[in-house]
Amino acid sequence: MRPSSGLLIFFMVFFLLAGVLARSLADKRNTQEENFHTLREVVLHLGLSDLALSTEARYTRHPAISDSVVVSMDHPGAIDHFPSTFFWAPVR
Amino acid sequence: MFIDLQAVTKIYNQGQPNEVIALKTVSLAVAKGEMVCVQGPSGSGKTTLLSIIGCIFSPTSGRAAIGGKKISRLPDHFLTRYRRELIGFVFQNYNMIDHLTVLENITLPLLALGVSPSIRERKADHLLEKFGISHRKKFKVNQLSGGELQRAAIARALINDPPIIVADEPTAHLDGKLSLEVMDMLAALKEEGRTVVVASHDPIVSRHHGMAGIIEVRDGVILLNKPVG
Amino acid sequence: MGRVLNILDYALCSLRRKLLKNVSVFAIFTLVIFLFCSFQLVSRALTEAAEQLLTTAPDITIQQMSAGRQISIASSTKMELAGIFGIKKIKERIWGYYFDESNGANYTVIGMHAPFSDSPGDRLPGLSEGRLPAPGERGKVVVSDNIRNHLQLGSRKHFSLFRPDLTQAGFETIGLFDGKLEIVTADLILMTLADARDLFAIPDKFVTDLLVYVANPNEIETIARKISLKLPGSRVITRNQILKTYKVVFNWRSGLGTICLLTALAAFVILAWDKASGLSREEMKEVGILKILGWQTGDIIFLRFCESLTVSLLAFLTGYLLAWMHIVYFDGILFRPVFLGWSVVRPVFSLAPSFSIENLLLVFCLSVVPYLCATAVPAWRAATVRADSVI
Repeated sequence: MRPSSGLLIFFMVFFLLAGVLARSLADKRNTQEENFHTLREVVLHLGLSDLALSTEARYTRHPAISDSVVVSMDHPGAIDHFPSTFFWAPVR
Repeated sequence: MFIDLQAVTKIYNQGQPNEVIALKTVSLAVAKGEMVCVQGPSGSGKTTLLSIIGCIFSPTSGRAAIGGKKISRLPDHFLTRYRRELIGFVFQNYNMIDHLTVLENITLPLLALGVSPSIRERKADHLLEKFGISHRKKFKVNQLSGGELQRAAIARALINDPPIIVADEPTAHLDGKLSLEVMDMLAALKEEGRTVVVASHDPIVSRHHGMAGIIEVRDGVILLNKPVG
Repeated sequence: MGRVLNILDYALCSLRRKLLKNVSVFAIFTLVIFLFCSFQLVSRALTEAAEQLLTTAPDITIQQMSAGRQISIASSTKMELAGIFGIKKIKERIWGYYFDESNGANYTVIGMHAPFSDSPGDRLPGLSEGRLPAPGERGKVVVSDNIRNHLQLGSRKHFSLFRPDLTQAGFETIGLFDGKLEIVTADLILMTLADARDLFAIPDKFVTDLLVYVANPNEIETIARKISLKLPGSRVITRNQILKTYKVVFNWRSGLGTICLLTALAAFVILAWDKASGLSREEMKEVGILKILGWQTGDIIFLRFCESLTVSLLAFLTGYLLAWMHIVYFDGILFRPVFLGWSVVRPVFSLAPSFSIENLLLVFCLSVVPYLCATAVPAWRAATVRADSVI
């Protein structure tokens, strides 16, 4: 067998796995869409503005409606120190 | 003439402080189907002469025609193509790629031509049988003896069926018996109609019955160009 | 085509000969791409979730500011806004945080006038059990299952929270948010406005924000401008701004994580350059032999290109596939601790980002292309070994 045939086998396996993954993703997104429909109604009726992802500080819990000085709420020179802000930028 | 050099000069690093004139207005003619020996001490221009005959580079000035093709002032791309079509090389140090097998080494020139694996193997098998080393086909080259290596090198030189063979000190690492064997093989190639140019100090080579002429090179000029006998 | 396949075969054999080195490069490259892609996919999943879920967020949210900080806003402000044409409805809300010292959890408390929803019977979809507090009811709350576990209620329905003066306010859970809604309700305690005012000792006739709903969505920005002119010192946030916050928040340009991973990628490319740059004697001899046997300079460059492309492309495909598997089958488990941080209340939700060809190309351009560029010059240098070097 030529070495380039081995490469071809790799690509075939890759596309097979990708196909299985695509199918799983499609199923997951269908389920998600059903949940999102309900979630949008809850957001509407309760007037919510943010996702409840990180509750360690108010500006990580409600970045959309927190005032910008809240990052240094303990002290004017205080720096941000919560791990989740490694993931996203502080409130502007 | 099959190999025709007229007033060929080769200058390395032209115009720079370390300029070297390797060949000075050298003229040479070798007919088709002849075997000639090129002799000369180290630094004489022998290797440069072989390189021009082997289409490795063009001369700085003068006319050079190899196998009917003019190679004077040709770009590298064309020289490589001519080299692939016209020349088979046999080297002093065999110049095999150590991590490849005998079969893989022999078929290297065919890879860049796009020849399929099956055809490559068929051509190689024919040559390996001709030179009696079929049983070593799958061995790594560092497992072969000197004589076997040189036979493999000659097989590689013939894989493209070139009309010209250039051999640089082919018997340098071989004993008398093996040297004679190698020269007999090269003479047989001459009998097939190929032109063979051998560079060597070895008297076994220069005095071989198949040798048509001796070319002596010294300080970039040809001192002697005479038929044997 | 035959030539291309032959040179590719030769390149693959060459890679196989230095198996340990190439497998190491492949493994590290795959890991870097896996981490970078996973990060991108988690960010995108959350951005898409925010974009899709917050489309029903309030049209306009009004907060009162003083000395740059938010303070309570008077309910009577509603009257001042009554004259603005296009406002359909204004809701009062108390939104605050309760820190539970017993377990270090932060709960979000939302207090609103009942009925909470506009649907008949004040039904809120998304309650797995029970109901919403009725108008006039006191001490009744709806919580998430997450909070119920943190409060260690078990089968109990009653619990207490401390007011600022350390007296206790008692509550009874009459409803439970569905577990599938944790992405917005994980830390939520929903109660009436009166209960929230009592819990936080907020004076009567004051709330934390006003939610404004307009009749024509195209008028939101205009009405927001009018409100900010009418209420100096207020902060007026439109729904577009809420959505834009999440685009910025999860944008790949922000976020220390992306920067760190890009740095890792850059470091890897420099390593690749360093590895490819050195040409050993054996490699020089090999190239010289190939050239003297009739291989063109272009063939040698193509050979080295095939070697680099094989390693980088296989690593890219493997890393990308593993990243997707990490998200689809494991919900981004490796990054959860990072974006949930020190939170005690940790929502359970699944991630399902959309496939985006732009993202695939972005990762490809940030990984494979720099790797190929880093190995291009060393490849060219190898290809310029002279044929006569072996004579």
